[in-house]
Amino acid sequence: MEATQVLFWFIAVVTILSAGIVAFSSKLIHSAFALLATLVGFAAFYVYLGADFLAVAQIMIYVGGILILIIFGVMMTHRIYDTSKRTAHNSLILSLLGGAAMAAILGMIIFRSPWTATVFKTLKPTTSMIGTSILTNYLLPFEVISVLLLGALVGAVYLARREEDEE
Amino acid sequence: MNNLNSLQYFLPELFLSASILIIIIVDLLLKKDKKIITAYLSVLAVLVAFFLAYRQYNYAFTSLFEGMIVLDSFAVYFKVLTALSTIIVIFISMPAFRRHSEYYILLLVVTLGMFLMVEVNDLLMIIIAMEMVGIISYVLAGFNKFNMKSNEASLKYVLYGAASTGVMAFGFSYIYGLTGHTNLFAIQQAIVGHSLQPLPVFIAFVMVVAGLGYKIAMVPFHFWVPDVYEGAPTPITAFLSVGPKAAGIALFIRFLITVVAHPASQTTFIQNVQIQAPLLLAVLAVVTMTLGNVSALGQKNIKRMLGYSAIAHVGYMMMALVVFNTRGFTAIMFYMVVYMFMNFGAFWVVQSMTPHLGSEDISAYKGLGYRHPLTAVAMAVFMLSLTGIPPFAGFIGKVYLFAAIIKQNWYTLAVIGVINGVISLYYYAYVIKVMFLDRDEEIKAISVPLYDRVLLWLLLIPVLALGVYWGPLIDLAHNSIGFFFGN
Repeated sequence: MEATQVLFWFIAVVTILSAGIVAFSSKLIHSAFALLATLVGFAAFYVYLGADFLAVAQIMIYVGGILILIIFGVMMTHRIYDTSKRTAHNSLILSLLGGAAMAAILGMIIFRSPWTATVFKTLKPTTSMIGTSILTNYLLPFEVISVLLLGALVGAVYLARREEDEE
Repeated sequence: MNNLNSLQYFLPELFLSASILIIIIVDLLLKKDKKIITAYLSVLAVLVAFFLAYRQYNYAFTSLFEGMIVLDSFAVYFKVLTALSTIIVIFISMPAFRRHSEYYILLLVVTLGMFLMVEVNDLLMIIIAMEMVGIISYVLAGFNKFNMKSNEASLKYVLYGAASTGVMAFGFSYIYGLTGHTNLFAIQQAIVGHSLQPLPVFIAFVMVVAGLGYKIAMVPFHFWVPDVYEGAPTPITAFLSVGPKAAGIALFIRFLITVVAHPASQTTFIQNVQIQAPLLLAVLAVVTMTLGNVSALGQKNIKRMLGYSAIAHVGYMMMALVVFNTRGFTAIMFYMVVYMFMNFGAFWVVQSMTPHLGSEDISAYKGLGYRHPLTAVAMAVFMLSLTGIPPFAGFIGKVYLFAAIIKQNWYTLAVIGVINGVISLYYYAYVIKVMFLDRDEEIKAISVPLYDRVLLWLLLIPVLALGVYWGPLIDLAHNSIGFFFGN
């Protein structure tokens, strides 16, 4: 077995185990920290697929941004070292049945479908290709997102703002 | 067509985007008690966008921005419809929302999102357009910041919305993985050309239906509807049940006739891969209308009742989706216009009467027929039209829906639809009974401002007129679908 394969299996095991902790842990803060390993693991998978830009974006946005927010959220909601807040769990048998059915269907699709594979065998930088695409074929989505963000900002400011004439 | 040349066909959207920016700046210059001016400007902006979109009607089919969106008469039909729904909502909101210009700016952003939703031609654009409508709707649902119910509605809407978008995006990833394209036409050709296995296509279809079904409030993705419809401000409730829903249905139709099916003869479509799509849609339609109608029976709150009735009406419209031909799609497009007027009418009565009655309970409408006869009669017309009783517009709309499915021998579906119509009569007629047959000892007359009465008439007249003279509208709807076959 080559070193890259060993590394791949190591990352896969870490990602799945930490995802399991996210789902099964009773303490909210443990779930939040386990999510860190899951998200970094995903970034590593993106590298394996030759998507370097996506991997960096994953780390910057999910690990650097969203996860920090989640952890802050958890810490601010309860007292800082109070990790005793319990998460709710559904009936184990029902969840297992649903999960197994889902896994069976998805597994069948993944292993039986003729996917159009476009993964590059050699690792080459994708950032400049993505940049070119955004300013040519995908210009409209790129511009429309700016209007979407503007609307979201206006809405967020409205919801978060303190009204002057109340109290 | 390349990006620069596409701009000349993108005028309504460009105008709306510019208006959003201008109104935000104008808002900064306005004094606190003059904020209502932004509402007037917004109406003006949507009106201009409405006419710009209308002028595009006879343009030849064009694919814009490197295939990201398409301009066709189907898109223009729905653009005009959604613009009209925004105009009506702004008029409904004006008396109540006088101090918040953000409200009108957000409505304009949603309108832009709906314009994009009805003309998308790319998986990426579908998600962006739907999120543009979705994210802003979450804010609008929670616009009454100090109302706990409004907050709850907003939060529920966000959580369900995020989950359903995620499922839909996962479905898209399958479609992309199978075909290697994000452009809907390219996907169609890839699926037809390579005769893919049914199972992955079917699962992807189910996942996308989950996302779209959420947007149009289809069972079993409807759990957010009653709470959001009750908690959100009434004009927003009315808006969510018409505008975004029309855009969602337009997107649904476009998805069905590109990714799921392709034109076969002059009027019918056949599926790209034989997956049980019509049967699945038929089952969902039956479940949707039955659950909507049965749940509406026991409602005490009129907004909640109208929320469940909105679910039932989605069921009626989905019924006509199963036939995959122009007759069915024409019927849906016609019904959407009729539904817009009668539903806005009913919600406008709720909005204008709530301050006078002091409650949104159906029991508060007791004796309204004697306190303000015009409003009560109009409400009765809207209720009868929603039930589908002649001679009102709702009846004609239902006739076309049922005719479309009976022509294709979906008799069981039609029978269940009729039974549902009978069930719905009970709760719609109950409102009429409360208004006219129950009365208090002393009658306290309500005085309704001129503005309220004019708007009421403007919504009432189309419901009456389309009930007796509907030919031009059905022709328009029929022509709008024709381009899919190259005429």
